[in-house]
Amino acid sequence: MAAGGGDPGAPYRHHAQLGACESRAKYREGRRPRAVKVYTINLESRYLLIQGVPALGVMKELVEQFALYGAIEEYHALDEYPAEQFTEVYLLKFQKLHCARVAKKKMDERSFFGSLLHVCYAPEFETVQETREKLQDRRKYIAKATNQRDCFVLKKVEGPKTTVSKTSEHDCPWSTSRSHASSNWDPSCFTSSHGVSHNTGHQCGNRNQSLLTSPHYDNNCAETSAYFGQNPSLTPSVQPGGCTPPASLMQQRMVPTYSGIDRFMPRTTHLQERKRKREEGNRFSLLGTSADNTEVIIGPQLPGIPKVDMDDESLNTSATLIRNKLKEVADSVSTISVEKPESGSAKPLVKQRRRI
Amino acid sequence: MELGRLEYLQALVTEFQVTDSPEAKEQVLANLANFAYDPKNYEYLRQLQVLDLFLDMLTEDNETLVEFAIGGLCNLCLDKTNKEYILEARGVEPIINCLSSPNEETVVSAVTTLMFLTTPQSRHQTTALPVVECMLRFSLSANRRLSNLATLFLEDYCSPPQVEEARNLSKHTAVGIPLPKD
Repeated sequence: MAAGGGDPGAPYRHHAQLGACESRAKYREGRRPRAVKVYTINLESRYLLIQGVPALGVMKELVEQFALYGAIEEYHALDEYPAEQFTEVYLLKFQKLHCARVAKKKMDERSFFGSLLHVCYAPEFETVQETREKLQDRRKYIAKATNQRDCFVLKKVEGPKTTVSKTSEHDCPWSTSRSHASSNWDPSCFTSSHGVSHNTGHQCGNRNQSLLTSPHYDNNCAETSAYFGQNPSLTPSVQPGGCTPPASLMQQRMVPTYSGIDRFMPRTTHLQERKRKREEGNRFSLLGTSADNTEVIIGPQLPGIPKVDMDDESLNTSATLIRNKLKEVADSVSTISVEKPESGSAKPLVKQRRRI
Repeated sequence: MELGRLEYLQALVTEFQVTDSPEAKEQVLANLANFAYDPKNYEYLRQLQVLDLFLDMLTEDNETLVEFAIGGLCNLCLDKTNKEYILEARGVEPIINCLSSPNEETVVSAVTTLMFLTTPQSRHQTTALPVVECMLRFSLSANRRLSNLATLFLEDYCSPPQVEEARNLSKHTAVGIPLPKD
């Protein structure tokens, strides 16, 4: 196995292409033969190492091919990296990790100018800050996917301001913890987006972790937004805490989640809803949007049973048509039977009846 | 499709439990560890007690099983429920022991798992003095992945007094957790 120590640009064990597993049980064979390997966030990286590139001066084409999967920040050949004869090794740095992930999946073992590429991650090229951001992004992704906002973030969030503000937006707990009217709200948590990330080292961690125990937040984001849309009574419950900033911020947050509930209401329910609102227009105009929300609390109304007017003549159209037709036929039959009385009355009638 | 996924995971766990083949065990464990990367599977994995399976595998002699198990834990321990489960099951200790492994992936996964498991309640375990001292040594490693992660651990999860105390300790004693061979 290649040595792992040394500077980036040296072959590492995780660069080595493992052989595909031949002995997998049938039920767990994938579509493509794969090696036995576990991918963690440590192994994944925005940096990709591309081995097996034919030495034909095709760097431009290579980069163009990979750029189909996402923006590439940097790329260059690794001249010191051991390569097979007539091949070169390149390093590509994607802007986003998930682009690198897709590119690796698609381009690994792909033929390129007659040579099979071997694509692997190269996390050893990351700086400390890049690794830090990678782990933070993973943390945010899990928090969002499992709908948990863990306030315990890193003590120091260094780096550009844009990174900090993104972190704070996702790590601040007030978007999900409003179901508990806690008296421990720290208004300083809401003063600024930067303030959140810097204040929430340990203090907020203690305070806000207790707020994240609501079972409502086990579901995905869509269901949570539905929950919010259906229970805006949460809004008044938190206000007694005495913090106006949370309420106003919550109003801001309420808007997108309310639109979320609309997506899950059947269209007929919407139409019924609007019709009811038009009929009771005066009452709504007095109470404002909160009444609308109250109406929604009850739940989406099922469409009413359509009332049919049983006296409506149009209901009988088909029946009338058939009756008239039968009458017509019967009349024509009686005319024929008058002309040919010896053939009998019943049989000709039977003959002329046609099955529709 | 949801039912199909649970059944599939169940089949993996069952195969792991009944098979005698070490290769099959490794393959299945790797499969489960990779499934642990996707939060959609967490509920099923908990139901099937895969978290316990990963924790149990940390003390196996087979290094590959340890590597895959700690990888699986690293993948799923950021989820709050999983985190609490692992902490309550006293999982920190065997994870700290993984720091002594000669396997690079095992060590790297262990460092990240300890980071992810650090909470105000658990930090006294995850940032205990021996651990901080170990991280100090790792931060000087020629292995960039390891040194980056160890540096992050010291900078973001340890207080300056903790780091100072560990630094003083390492000056006086030769006992330490060895660096991974590869």
